[in-house]
Amino acid sequence: MYRPSLVVTFTKKSSVKMAKLTSLFVILLSFFCISEAVFEDQVGKFDWRQQYVGKTLFAHFESNTQSSKKMFVATDKNIFASFNSRTGDLLWRHVDKTGPEGSIDILLLHGQDALMVVGDGRLLRSWDTNIGGLNWEAVLDTGSFQAACFVAIQDTVKLVAVLKKAAISLHYLSNGHQKWVENLPDSDAVQYQAVYSGGEEEVYVLGVVPNSHLTIIAYSLEDGEIIKQRSVEASWLSSIESSCVVVGQGVLMCVDPATLALYTLPIQAEETPEFSQILLQSLDLEVFPGFQPVLVSSQPHPARSPLSEFFLQLGPDHHVLLQLNADGYTIAPLRDFQPAFLVSFATTGKKTVAAVMTPKNETACAINLFSVDSGRRLLDTTVLFPLEPNGGKPHTLYVHAFLKKDDSVGYRVLVQTQDHALTFIQQPGRVVWTREEALADVVTMEMVDLPLTGTQAELEGEFGKKAAIQDGLFPMVLKRLSSQVTLLQAWLAHLWKLFYEARKPRSQVKNEVTIETLSRDEFNLQKMMVMVTASGKLFGIDSKSGSILWKHYLENVQPNAAFKLIVQRTTAHFPHPPQCTLLIKDKDTGLATLHVFNPIFGRKSHIALPALPRPILQSLLLPVIDQDYAKVLLLVDDQYKVTAFPSTKNVLQQLQEMASSIFFYLIRSDQGNLSGFRLRKDLSTERIWEVVLPTEVQKIVAVKGKRPNEHVHSQGRVMGDRSVLYKYLNPNLLAVVTESTDTHPERAFVGVFLVDGVTGRIIHEAVQRKARGPVHFVHSENWVVYEYWNTKSRRNEFSVLELFEGTELYNSTVFSSLDRPHLPQVLQQTYIFPSPITTMEATLTEKGITSRHLLVGLPSGAILSLPKMFLDPRRPEVVTEHSREENLIPYAPEMPIRTEWFINYNQTVARVKGIYTAPSGLESTCLVVAYGLDIYQTRVYPSKQFDVLKDDYDYVLISSVLFALFFATMISKRLAQVKLLNRAWR
Amino acid sequence: MWLHVRLSEVCLFLQAMFILACCFSDMESGPIATSGSVQPNGDRFKIEGRAIVPGVKTQDWISSARVTVEGEEYIGFLRTDGSFVVNDVPSGSYVVEVISPGYKFEAVRVDITSKGKMRARLVNFIKTSEVIRQPYPLQLRSSGPHTYFMKRETWGWTDFLMNPMVMMMVLPLLIIVLLPKVVNTNDPEMRKEMEQSMNMLNPNPELPDVSEFMTKLFSGSKSSSSKAIGGSKASGRPAVKRRNYCNWSCHGNYNTIFFKRAFSFVFCK
Repeated sequence: MYRPSLVVTFTKKSSVKMAKLTSLFVILLSFFCISEAVFEDQVGKFDWRQQYVGKTLFAHFESNTQSSKKMFVATDKNIFASFNSRTGDLLWRHVDKTGPEGSIDILLLHGQDALMVVGDGRLLRSWDTNIGGLNWEAVLDTGSFQAACFVAIQDTVKLVAVLKKAAISLHYLSNGHQKWVENLPDSDAVQYQAVYSGGEEEVYVLGVVPNSHLTIIAYSLEDGEIIKQRSVEASWLSSIESSCVVVGQGVLMCVDPATLALYTLPIQAEETPEFSQILLQSLDLEVFPGFQPVLVSSQPHPARSPLSEFFLQLGPDHHVLLQLNADGYTIAPLRDFQPAFLVSFATTGKKTVAAVMTPKNETACAINLFSVDSGRRLLDTTVLFPLEPNGGKPHTLYVHAFLKKDDSVGYRVLVQTQDHALTFIQQPGRVVWTREEALADVVTMEMVDLPLTGTQAELEGEFGKKAAIQDGLFPMVLKRLSSQVTLLQAWLAHLWKLFYEARKPRSQVKNEVTIETLSRDEFNLQKMMVMVTASGKLFGIDSKSGSILWKHYLENVQPNAAFKLIVQRTTAHFPHPPQCTLLIKDKDTGLATLHVFNPIFGRKSHIALPALPRPILQSLLLPVIDQDYAKVLLLVDDQYKVTAFPSTKNVLQQLQEMASSIFFYLIRSDQGNLSGFRLRKDLSTERIWEVVLPTEVQKIVAVKGKRPNEHVHSQGRVMGDRSVLYKYLNPNLLAVVTESTDTHPERAFVGVFLVDGVTGRIIHEAVQRKARGPVHFVHSENWVVYEYWNTKSRRNEFSVLELFEGTELYNSTVFSSLDRPHLPQVLQQTYIFPSPITTMEATLTEKGITSRHLLVGLPSGAILSLPKMFLDPRRPEVVTEHSREENLIPYAPEMPIRTEWFINYNQTVARVKGIYTAPSGLESTCLVVAYGLDIYQTRVYPSKQFDVLKDDYDYVLISSVLFALFFATMISKRLAQVKLLNRAWR
Repeated sequence: MWLHVRLSEVCLFLQAMFILACCFSDMESGPIATSGSVQPNGDRFKIEGRAIVPGVKTQDWISSARVTVEGEEYIGFLRTDGSFVVNDVPSGSYVVEVISPGYKFEAVRVDITSKGKMRARLVNFIKTSEVIRQPYPLQLRSSGPHTYFMKRETWGWTDFLMNPMVMMMVLPLLIIVLLPKVVNTNDPEMRKEMEQSMNMLNPNPELPDVSEFMTKLFSGSKSSSSKAIGGSKASGRPAVKRRNYCNWSCHGNYNTIFFKRAFSFVFCK
């Protein structure tokens, strides 16, 4: 309990009354202000965290022994991580800066060291993979990254070569120091794209002038001197990266889709020969029409030359294993794989194998190993990869081959699918683990109540109005009795189950959650989390355990699509199933599609969807419901026409009736334009107001209204003198945040406009000078809290705006934007926040009685629960008796951050992107999900658990005290009787 | 009247209808930091330092830690020996922090001039220009593990018994019950000794004793009340008082002594 920081010190003169007040004040404060700090025994009780890394770009396995457990991945989220390959758990993870500055260009593994080029050739890093620490980091010269490879001197790998657009540099593996750096000749015309080292005294750089010629330069390893330089005529070649590989003893192998031929060229040859051409036809190979053939080769050890065997992909499911003969220019086909989705080489010791994935049936793919030398299939190496009905297709194969005790080759395989999922399979076909890496990029989410069980639903139905009208009194009594009997039965069955399971050893009792067994708990604390990810995969996650109950991959989603998830029908309307609608909008074209599904089971609903031929500007969910209890979704297109979904006759009629009272707003941030519209009876719209914020001065960065499911319990605040300060609760209020276009620290500013969404009236505007974004803000009840960067003092500041109507309410029964003549009184206060923040959200409870907290995501991954009480513009600078009575904390410029207020203790959530809050059935409890790279779910109690017994409630103590008292009365009664009797005898 | 009703109805609708859906255009991605002033080829510097957690091996904590400069603007990682370098930082003033979920580190402000001169100082957000120098290259020493958890208020018998209120109630009770049994009150020598000790405890016999006064008041009988007055009048004579007192004590046992002490204690307080 943290009392001391809040207690106001009093002078000794204070009267007894004041002392009493103080103690009351302290008690109240301690009651209200104790944030729901976590107790140590609550770890993992109500909360869980799942850690993700993102879409894998590079994956490597630790040394090739059967017992090795580590694997390393580098991902598109700029993360380098290590997994335990037995369990799929993270061993460690390094999260770099987002964006191109932290992007991982390449990951190379050599023994204990992992080498990484970061930020388009900005940095070269070497990691100690054993403990997950950095060995060294070297800054590379500027220039965009092209390629990198290990370079061996006398059979030991000592150097790494990094090829940039205009330079090549060699670095020592041991300390990162640069051995030499050389500028590439003629780098304006020649595109250098590949670097090759086969264990000789030279390192070769390959460049191409598209559709003209190929340039090969040999550098001496010793001092970077150019030994040889030659160019070869290659008018058909446009890119080395996409069409060439090095095979065998330094032979460049290229494929040309135009002439349908393979070209070979020895890199090291002294003379300047031509490319020798081998027509695919001569090998009896045919390219799938319109397919760009791909070559796959393997260099198992950097000190030796690559394998002379290689794969040629001729179509989406057609691969051929070819071998380059010793003469260097003839090719022998070893084996034809059709159909085959994916191929991969893997080397262990001196043996190299090829893994090939072939489709088996509708639900599975088979993976087999083939000997590379002969193309023969290795016996007993088949592994099955299960294909999920609503999952993505396999995308990449990473094979971990090892030698078994009997010297045969064993392997494990990691399959990456298009939906970014990783599946690790072990022989003989057992799925060891699956990681849904799409969850590393959650875009939006909703929490949906779980459905009632059959008996619960029946009980609910009994109290329906219809039932009461249909039945008379007597049948209703009967019904009541029968439902009580069913309840009793259910309870007995539950008891029996408990008793039965208690006898079994604990390990056998499985608490598996399946969709079928899901039902709402008594306080509605367990919900279904529907998560939408950027890759287009939808997940249904049980909020209690974090287990994924359903997943659905939407295949044709553009990578830059925007999503909006709408709950159209909740679970409350049994027997109608709940219904969610996902609006997917292509950001380039603006065209939108709808995906309607059942959030509990994840199944797609077969409902007639409206045709949306025009770009969609805005979507709004109305509280109007159709005859099937689904809320109506309005979609506004770029001609300001409105489409309703569902658009039944009933709905259209309702819309016509209330068209004049439906308003919506549109924002065009590129034009600085904010405009309000009203719906007409024919579902067209009319513009009723417009606010223009000139784009030369400032640009709109964000607009937020209030959450529709927010309740405000008290209309005002009771002040110290017993008068009431009424809150300005305008449900149509928009908070518009702008940033200045001028970024100079002296002239930059942040603006906050409070605009009424119906009338367009600007209620208040606040300008923070010498400030810049990023601005994070929360708009709720009668307040707006925003955070910005103070450029003058170089610190983050929180500012709070609170709106009050004054001591009298204009119209206490209903709020109308059109009939509010008085502008609200606005109070503002600003505080220093000693840390940058990444996101911010406010807690939300069922009825809004519980005090509010702000949940602040920090860059460290912690989520701070900050009482709103600290952000109260009425915090006094000088303490008075009134302010004390109101429990106002005296003003202090710096906001405290206490680690006890971190709701996720050490379970940090990397790169928190959003915090979702949902009310539970208990007024005291708010469900919180923080998502970013990780997902963290917990419960918070902003005013402690006032409506339910705490989880640490001591039942033993209370019952033992009760029993003790009971027996004490019994005994004393008996003793008293005896005494009376004795006295009577005397 | 009708108008009024109608109006309020409309207003109700307004309130309900106006759905503040977020704009679906490019507003969702949120604010984007604008840092256009950084040239790609401008002078870049590096911030160096070393982080130490006393008593913990580096390999046990560095894999989960990282160094952040001004939020996540620049990021560095810790080497296997605990040292770190944040590369590619332009001149300016930055708050450098070692972030670890396990251990607490103090943040440091590092100023880099345009010529690359470095200075480290304590972070002070209120007096931003105050300079309290810190060593550079940075030496960051952890002040121990984070305290994330509150202590549970446990309920134990010892806590209950050690409560001052309970002590105050229970101890006298124990003495009342036990002492008469231990001390033989019928022994006349003992009684004398007791009386003497009582006198010693009462340094000023002139003062009217409150407990005495109270007991007399409650005894109710007229005679005793007059006696009490007499007693107080004759307060100059200690012998009278002693006798008086003795009368009382002879009635029962020495319990009253303790009551008296307890009373006076309470009243003095």
